[in-house]
Order: sequence, then structure tokens, then C-alpha cells
Amino acid sequence: MIIENILSAADTLITIQTMALMVLGVAAGLIAGAIPGFTITMAVVLTLPFTFGMSPIQGLATMIGVFVGGLSGGLMAGILTGIPGTPSSVATTFDGFPMARNGRPGLALGIGVWASFFGGIISAILLITVAPQLARIGLEFGPWDFFALVLFALTITASLSGDNLVKGLIAGALGLLVATVGSDEINGVERFSFGFEPIEQGFSFLPVLVGLFAFSQLLSDVQDRAKAREPLMPRGTSAVRIEHAQAIRQVIYQWVNLIRSSLIGVFTGILPAAGGSISNILAYDQAKKASKTPQVFGTGAPEGIVAPEAANNATAGGALITMMALGIPGDIVTAIMLGALLIHDVIPSPTFITDEPRLAYGIFMAFFFANFIMVAMQAICLRGFVLVTRLRMYVLASVILAYCGIGIFALNNIVFDMWTLLIFGVIGLVMKVMGFPLAPMILGVVLGHIAELNLNRALSTSDDLTLFLTRPWSLFFLLLGFFSMLFPWYQKMRGKARWTLIYPSAMLICLGIPLFMMQGIFRPSLALVIIASGVWLCGRHWRNGWKLQSP
Amino acid sequence: MQILNRDVVAALFLVALTCTFFAASFTIRVTTYGTVGSYVWPRVILIALGALSILYLINSLRGIYNDDTVRPPGSPTAWLVRYRNALWCFFMYAMFLITLPYLGILLGGILFVFIVLNLMGGWGPMSLVTHAVIATGTMGSMWAIFTFGLQVILPEGQLLRFW
Repeated sequence: MIIENILSAADTLITIQTMALMVLGVAAGLIAGAIPGFTITMAVVLTLPFTFGMSPIQGLATMIGVFVGGLSGGLMAGILTGIPGTPSSVATTFDGFPMARNGRPGLALGIGVWASFFGGIISAILLITVAPQLARIGLEFGPWDFFALVLFALTITASLSGDNLVKGLIAGALGLLVATVGSDEINGVERFSFGFEPIEQGFSFLPVLVGLFAFSQLLSDVQDRAKAREPLMPRGTSAVRIEHAQAIRQVIYQWVNLIRSSLIGVFTGILPAAGGSISNILAYDQAKKASKTPQVFGTGAPEGIVAPEAANNATAGGALITMMALGIPGDIVTAIMLGALLIHDVIPSPTFITDEPRLAYGIFMAFFFANFIMVAMQAICLRGFVLVTRLRMYVLASVILAYCGIGIFALNNIVFDMWTLLIFGVIGLVMKVMGFPLAPMILGVVLGHIAELNLNRALSTSDDLTLFLTRPWSLFFLLLGFFSMLFPWYQKMRGKARWTLIYPSAMLICLGIPLFMMQGIFRPSLALVIIASGVWLCGRHWRNGWKLQSP
Repeated sequence: MQILNRDVVAALFLVALTCTFFAASFTIRVTTYGTVGSYVWPRVILIALGALSILYLINSLRGIYNDDTVRPPGSPTAWLVRYRNALWCFFMYAMFLITLPYLGILLGGILFVFIVLNLMGGWGPMSLVTHAVIATGTMGSMWAIFTFGLQVILPEGQLLRFW
């Protein structure tokens, strides 16, 4: 069945036009990723207007190309200058930059590129095999479960996107509130338009998203007047050649590190959270802990480049798994991709993969091919990408601001959308300056309609609110949401407060309960293992007399 | 306890915003169809937002957010200097939108990019030429891509129409 779907999708995907668009997408992503401060999300946002006139598969393939290119492009800036191009390449600089300074920039780049490639391929294989299975689980979800899943997505994003949970939750609630403005989808009743005609139908989703993210990001990038006039990357970095053969040997030699880091990346991507920015550091940390020579980390160790680069590319596949299987975007990039699908009247849901196999498998295949294109482009055009980063930020920002306006106008041919862009750009910048994370707000805007629709369906089916607690999946997600809200405090107080000793075991025991309530043999058995682990952990602390240990 | 800092102001603004929207939620039409009223979900959000805003206010008064990485610039002049680039961009973008019916996207866009480039990059003679080339080249190519490539009818403006 999978092979049949892949062949059918390949037929649609492997055309000269689509492949050319993917090459352009990967090139754009590599350039955007290489520019410090210019995030992958921004690159995907800017690609979106060009996809309006394309078929869904061409549009999505182009955006996936940008996504994969951006993830790998970040390593160029990180390795050559020590300034990570994107947050997902932060850990790459720990060893990549020292290796480059030690006279092996070509090898450092090669290891990064090939680790990205293998990480992406492992994640693509998992995407093709896991997403349909997860979608099958998604078919078990009722409206109660979907509502709880949305709440979990918002709480975990809020808790992982910054130091301050309250500000994160406020941002999420504001996003949900923005989504309620205008005509209500279910009853068709107008809400919060305050008599202002242009918003009677509500704010268009993409202008809000682009305004909040891209517009505010650009303005924050040019805030420092002197820095805005400097080139984005220093001179003297263009004469680098990637040492492919040696890099491939190094990466394959560390296959355990590679697979472990890729799995960390995929798992982080599946969680509705911060994605690549977290997975690269997690993978680096695990690689260091597992290494026989942890003392060489930070001095140019190849393991320290393989781990973050494999993880951040694998995260993309993980995020796509959740979006494709459940219709819930895991991060801002997949939220924009969801928007792109909605423009083409394609609504991802648990039935999406079975209903639209050509498109779904086309997206899987596009992700697979994008990794090959990325390696080829890095090998051929590295010099060109580095040259582009000589641009000055103010030039880039001025042009992109205008481009954002045109792109947003092209969406619905409505000038008010350009005003929406400006208004939400102001809101985004103010929130950034005030220390509010924007990711929860953006996810709030995206998930608001899904949450309301499912709450409505749930309450229309039954007015019994206890169903949110008695249905296993709903309870599972609510508990996950609760523990994710406590997570920042747990991290902060770990080793300082006694309650942090009970946190992991309480989480395991509590999460085991809804799993135990599920049908079949596997899940209740898994629940018993999880509960037993929780009890064992608890017992271990009890035997130690609840003594605090430094993390 | 700190009486007034930027977080207290933000928290008070959020409380006021929540109250305004909560009051507005009573004007949402109650329908005779549908099991769940259109006001239910917004009120659920507003109750949560209100509670969080009050918590934020209490935390701000206790000075919990004082060690934030972004420090307030101090006097209004310092504030204007710090956010000068952003404020110019917002102002110019608003002007671009206001003049859109007259100048259209092509002319308005070139003008917008040119002025913003100069405001942020300087007004030297060499810069003026470079910025003019960048503005015309980028906006012209974008306009051509959208108009001819993507078949989007962009606002052409009264000026170009008249001409």
C-alpha cells in the first residue's frame, strides 16, 4: 500500500517544473538560513505568496525545500563565523566554529552537511512510516480529545518558548482571542467587530501570521542602527571547499550518534513545541554525555557537529508527522504550511493521508528529495550563498517589508489585509519588546478555530463536561498539558526544592492512568510499565530519604 | 513592591482589554439555533486571559520581571532614538498604504523602499544612487513577477491609470 502510494505520488512530484521549484526553494532556504537573524520561518513565510498560483503539491514541495534548505543553511554561518544563522544551529557552533578556526572549515562544513542529510533521510523514512500510523490513532480522537490536544499544544509551546510561563500563556490566549474576531464559523454570528466593517469576516489568518512574525522580526533586526548598516557576515569566508569524502566517513563512523540524534530530532518535532531550536541542544547534550571523550567537546569534535545537525533536520520530519497525521501544526513553520494547504482547500486531519494519498505521499517524497537537493546545492553553490550574506540588514529589511505587503495583497486581493499586516506587525514588535513569546500567539491564532469547533462539537454531543476527564485521550492530553505547565518551574527548581523529586514519577504514574484506560493489550501493558517506572523512581527517592541532588 | 514599571502598564492594559472584550461579549447575538452560543468560547478565553493578566499584574508589582533581557530605554527621547528605525518603518508603511490608491503598488513601493533605505542607510550621494537602483530593481522585478508570472492584478493607482 505504502509503495503504491509512493509510486503514485512520485508521478505527480517528479516533473521538471516541480523539481525546479524545489531547487529554487532549497536555494532560498540555504541563503535565508545562512543569514544570521533571518529565520527559516521568515523564509517560509516569504515563499508562501509565490505558491498561490501553484498546484498544492508544487506549493508544498517548494515550501518544504525552503524548510530543509533553511535548516541546513544555518550551519554555514555558525561554522564559518561562530554566529548561528538560525536558532536550530546554535549547538553546531560549539564545535563547528572551533574546527573551522583550527584550519578545517571544509571538513566542519562537510560533516554538518552530511549529518543534516542523513538526519533528514532518517526522519523522512520515519515520516513515511509513522505518520500513517499516527493518523490511525488520530481516527480514535473525538472532539473532546482534539480540544484537549489543542490545549496541550498551547501550554507546551508557552512553557517551552521562554522563561516566563505566564507571558507565554497570555500570548496563547491573545492568539485564541484574535481568532474569535469576526463571523463565527459555526453559527455565523458576528463577534468583536465593534462596527468596523472590514473585520466583520474576521482577520485573514496569513496577514496576522506574517505581521506577527516576519514584520516584527524584521523591525527588531534593524533596531540597532549601526548593526543594520553592517554586512550580515564578515569577509574572507568564501574560499572554502567542502571535504565530502572525509566528512561522509566521519558521519558514518558515528552512526550511533547519528541515529540517536535523529531520533531525538524526530521526537522533538512530533511534540507540539519549539522544534529545532530545542532538539539541536538536546542532541548535543546527549552526544556529550554518551561520548567516551566528553572533554574534547567544544574544541572541534566531529561528534559535536553530527549531533545537532542530524537532530535539527530530523525535527522537520517530526513536525510534519504531527501536521499530516493530526492536522495540528507542531511549530510556526508547519502552521504556515497548514495555511498553505488551507489556501488550496486541503484540510489536514487524521483522514487526510487516506483521503488524499497522492498529495500526502507527495509531501513525504518532497521532504525526502529536498535532502538530496540540499546536499547537491551545498556542494555546488556554497560560494554563492556566502556572497549573498554580504548584504546589509537594512537593505534586506526594506525590500522584504515591501515584498510582504505585495505577497499579502496577492492572497485575497484585499488592501485591508495589508493594514492587518501592519497592525499585527506593531503588536508583534511591542510584544517582543515586552518579553512575550510570539510562538504561542501564532499557534493560538491557528488553533483557535480548531479548538472552538471541537468544543462546540463536544458540547453539542453531550453537555457532560466530565467526558473531558473520562475519555482516555482527552485525559492524557490534559495531564500532559498540566505537567508541561509545571515544567519550567521544575527546570528552575530542580535540585533546590523537594517537590521536584516527585515530579517525574508523578508524571509517569499520572500519564499511565489514561493509557491503562485504553482498549487493547499493548497500551494497558505499556501503561503498567510506565506506572511501574514511576513507582520505582519514587521508591528510589524514598530510599535515599528525599535528598536533593544537583542536576 | 514596584508601583509602576512597563510590565505593570502592560498588565493594566491587558486587564482593560479583557474587560472591554468581556463587555462586548454581551452584545454577541444569541441565536435560537445551535446548541452552544457564539459567546461561550470567547468568554472562556476571556476568563482565562483575565486571570492570567491579574497574575501578570501581581507578578509585575512584585518586580518578578525586572531582570528581563530587554531593558527600558529610560526617557522618551532615548525611547525614540532606540526605536527610531522601527518607528520610521511603521510610519512609512502606513504612508505607503494611505497613498496606495493614488500611487499604486509599483510607484508607491519604489518610493517606500527608497525612502526607508535612505532613512536607515543614510542620505549620502552614493547611497542615494545605490538605494534608487535597489528600490527600482527589486520593486520592479517583484511587480513583474506578480503581474505577469502569477497573474495577480496589483493596485495600479490613479496616477498610473491617468498617465
